[in-house]
Order: sequence, then C-alpha cells, then structure tokens
Amino acid sequence: MMRTMAAHAIVGEAPRQDAAPLHVQGVSKTYVGTRGVVPVIGDISLTLHRGEVVSVVGPSGCGKTTLLNVLCGLLPPDTGSVRWYGAETSGQPANVGYMLQKDLLFPWRTALANVLLGLEIRRIDRVKAEDRARAMLDQLGLHGFADAYPSTLSGGMRQRVALARTLVHEPDVLLLDEPFAALDFQTKLVIESDTVKLVRNSGRSALLITHDIEEAVSVSDRVIVLSKRPTWVKKIYEIDLGVERADMIAARESPRFVGYVRQIWADLDVARQ
Amino acid sequence: MKHEAPPPIADEQRLVAAHRSARRRSLRVSTAVLATQMALLAAALGLWEYGVSSSSQAAFMFGSPSAIGGHLAQMFRDGSVWRDSYVTGLETVLGFLIGNIIGTALGLALWYSRFVSRVVQPFVIAVGSIPIIALAPIVIIWFGTGLSSKIAMSTLSVVVVALVTSYKGATGVDDDQINLMRTLGASKFQIFRKLVVPASLTDIFAGLRLTVGFALIGAIVGEFMSSSEGLGHAIFKAGSLYIIPKVFAELVATIALALVLTFIVGRVERLLTPWRRAG
Repeated sequence: MMRTMAAHAIVGEAPRQDAAPLHVQGVSKTYVGTRGVVPVIGDISLTLHRGEVVSVVGPSGCGKTTLLNVLCGLLPPDTGSVRWYGAETSGQPANVGYMLQKDLLFPWRTALANVLLGLEIRRIDRVKAEDRARAMLDQLGLHGFADAYPSTLSGGMRQRVALARTLVHEPDVLLLDEPFAALDFQTKLVIESDTVKLVRNSGRSALLITHDIEEAVSVSDRVIVLSKRPTWVKKIYEIDLGVERADMIAARESPRFVGYVRQIWADLDVARQ
Repeated sequence: MKHEAPPPIADEQRLVAAHRSARRRSLRVSTAVLATQMALLAAALGLWEYGVSSSSQAAFMFGSPSAIGGHLAQMFRDGSVWRDSYVTGLETVLGFLIGNIIGTALGLALWYSRFVSRVVQPFVIAVGSIPIIALAPIVIIWFGTGLSSKIAMSTLSVVVVALVTSYKGATGVDDDQINLMRTLGASKFQIFRKLVVPASLTDIFAGLRLTVGFALIGAIVGEFMSSSEGLGHAIFKAGSLYIIPKVFAELVATIALALVLTFIVGRVERLLTPWRRAG
C-alpha cells in the first residue's frame, strides 16, 4: 500500500520558467496483471501552456486516471517523458495542485483545519497559515463556515473546501480529475466558473480530466480527445467560443458551443461501443 | 402579473406549537418504552418471587428477589459493596488501560510495515485464540496472588482485541486520502499522525467499548483463582457457601460496575470525537 516517496529529484536539465508548465511526449503505460498484459496508454503527447485550461476527454475506461497518476509521478511511464517546466522529474512535481472527484476531506477536521492540512505538513507558521486559509475560504464564498465539520456541509461546499485546500498552496498548475462530476448542475456551473477565474486571472494553468463533453468545451482553451484503450490522442480542438471565458452560461449559449460538443461526441464513438 | 414575496414567517405561533407537540410526542414514546421495560422487570421479579415462595428448597436453589435485596442492603450497610467494587474496578480499569495502550500501539504500529504485519499475523491469531482462563495458573505463578495478577489477567483479555481492532482501523484508511497526503508532501510519519491515527479512532473506540467487558471478565476470573477481596472473590465465596441470593446480589453489583465503566467510555468517546456529533 505504501511506497516511500521519491524525492523531487531532477533527472535531466534544470526547470526553466519560460518553458511550458507541462509537456508530455510519447508516453505509454502497460499493466501486467494476472490475466496477462494490458496496454492502457498507447501513445500520448500533449502540452499545457501558461495561463491555459486544457481538457482531456475520452470514452469510459480509456485510462484517464492512469494518465493522471503518470503525470503526478505516482506511476512511472514505460516509455516517453513527462516534463514539468522543461525538466524531467521523478516523483512529485513541485507547485502542482490536485483535485479529485472525491473531496477527501478529513471528517475530524473543520473546514479551516482541512485547508490548513498541507500548510501544516510544510510546517508553515501557524498564524500566517491560518490567515491564508481563511482568506482562501472567504474567496470561495465560505465565509462563516471555517469552523464547520465537513459532515455539516453540502456537497458543493465540501468541494469548495477541497478547492481551497488545493489553491491555498498557490500552485502554478492544477491537475483536476473530474472534480465537478458529483455536483448538481447549478453548483457545478458556479464552481467551474470560480475555478476557471482563479486559474486565468493569476496566470496559472489547469489540466482537466473529464468525461463531460459540455464541461470540457465550456471551460477549456483546448480539448484533447482520447481514443479507447490502448489510448492515443485522437483529435485536438482549439476552442474559440468568442465570449468571456469565465462565464459558463455565456459559453454554453455561444452558437459555436453545440458544434464542438457534437463533433467531440462523434469522435468519442460512444454509440458504437 | 406582479409576484409578491411571501411574508417572512407564515404563522410563527403555529410553527412553534407544532414543534412543541412533536417534541411532546417523542417524549411520550420514550416514556412508554421506559414504562414497558419497568413493567417487564417487575413482572419477571414478581414471578420469580412467587415461584420460589412455595418451597424452601427452591428458595435455597434459586434465591429470591427479596433475599437478593436483603443481601444488597446488607452489603451497603457494612460497606463491602463499595470496597469490593473499588478493588475489582481498579483491577479492571488498570487492565483495560494497559491492555488497550499496548494493543492499540502495536496495532497502529503494524500499519508501518506490511512485511512485519504479515509475519506476525498467524502468531496474533494463535495468541488471540487462547482462552484467558487457561493462562490463570501461570499468571498466578508469575504475578503472585495480589493485585498485579488480576491486572495481568485483565490486560491479557484486552490486549489482542485492542490490537486487532486498531490494526483494522489503520489498514482501512482510504488509499486516495493517503495519496492526497503524499501529493501534499507528507512524510510517512505525518501520514501516520495526521491521517491514520485519527481515521482509526472510530474502530479504536468500538474496541474500547467491547474491551470494557473483557477487562472485567479478566479481573473476575483472576479473583476466582486466588484473592482476598473484590466482587469476584465475594461471588466465589458466596457460591462456595451455597448462599445463592448473595451470589446474585454480587452479580447485580458487578453489572452496575460494568454499566458505569461503559458509560464513562461512551462519554470519553463523545468528548474526543466531536465531529461525529456534528451533522
């Protein structure tokens, strides 16, 4: 269950601030199980530029989560390279925040204490850490809920606390694995919009893994469509909706929105599976 | 058409009245449950009293509620109930604490190494399957006939259960939460202290509630083997002298002790896991 954590060792050249935050080149990954060899990722290359929101969509079971685990250093790729800021690293990349579908809040910690978790781990001064955590909760509309236990919060509020826990470290890159999938539609739009604003307004970048085509089109600059297993990049769409990009309703009302969604739906080939 | 906002509260008095009547109803139900329990107890005691009243042999064999009450009153008058309860309570509490501290520490520590936990697993199962009473003769040889042998018996009854429940709690932690801690840069010790220990508290407390009874059994069995005081001693002595109602009276005191200790554990649990009261 547990592995000792690989240090943030730089294998190749030093990271460069001018390089793309994330560059993936020719990555493949195969599992060897009791029923033989299962090639999960065939060949994936992608690039995430500064200030960009890029979505990865694919049919169910296409290895999206395996891809995420490779990107964040929990699994080594069989071939190819994952470069963060131009440097090949083994183990955890620095300055990357993760958010998953499950909020993974600790029930024995209040909202504030959950946000403080990572700051405690990094041994940041308690007073400063609390100020930052409270400011983050306020920014996400959770003012007055700092001392509430997760069990007393709604699904949307819990996911906001998880978002605050991720953003309080001021990560340069966000890796999002279907973080909005369990939310109701209205809450989802609001939190999508908040997340996208926080990413774009501060020059961060985000890679969103999702199976929700409409979500991908409405939030992203680019949508990468994956094939089924063994996964390869089937198509890449540059999304241009011609509207303000943090406005989820305007994005969905854009006349070009439906066109993108239809095309991606056709690419996914869901009906024939 | 113009829409008007509804008035803030339609009919405050009616809402309050409805709330009060709902509370009264739930109170009535609890009262009815309590009354039924009392009636059942009274009926059972009455039947018992009536059943043994016709023959002195039956009264000798089975005792009677009135005789038990008499012995209880006597135990309170001479203060023996307090002394015996104190001795047995002390043995139980110390055995409970020592057993749970050792067992929980070992159980949680096993989380650290998959290898060690796999190595010791069959030994834990083997030791756990020993009936504690079978160890009593050795415990008396090692620890003597005083307080420490009863504490040892009590500890032995508790330690394996505490180990198994805390280990189960520690290994039941969500792998995704462990990955989250790793992505936040936590060391293995930080994962242990900030995630594994608090996440195991639910299982640990379930173990505590279970082992209160085991600790008491250990203490009483220890007193059966050799002792000069305590509830187990009093039960054993009364039994040897064929004073059946006295045995029952001491049993009532034992049950009361068990209930008090269980209540205290429940209180401590509520105090230490405040998040479970929320929501």
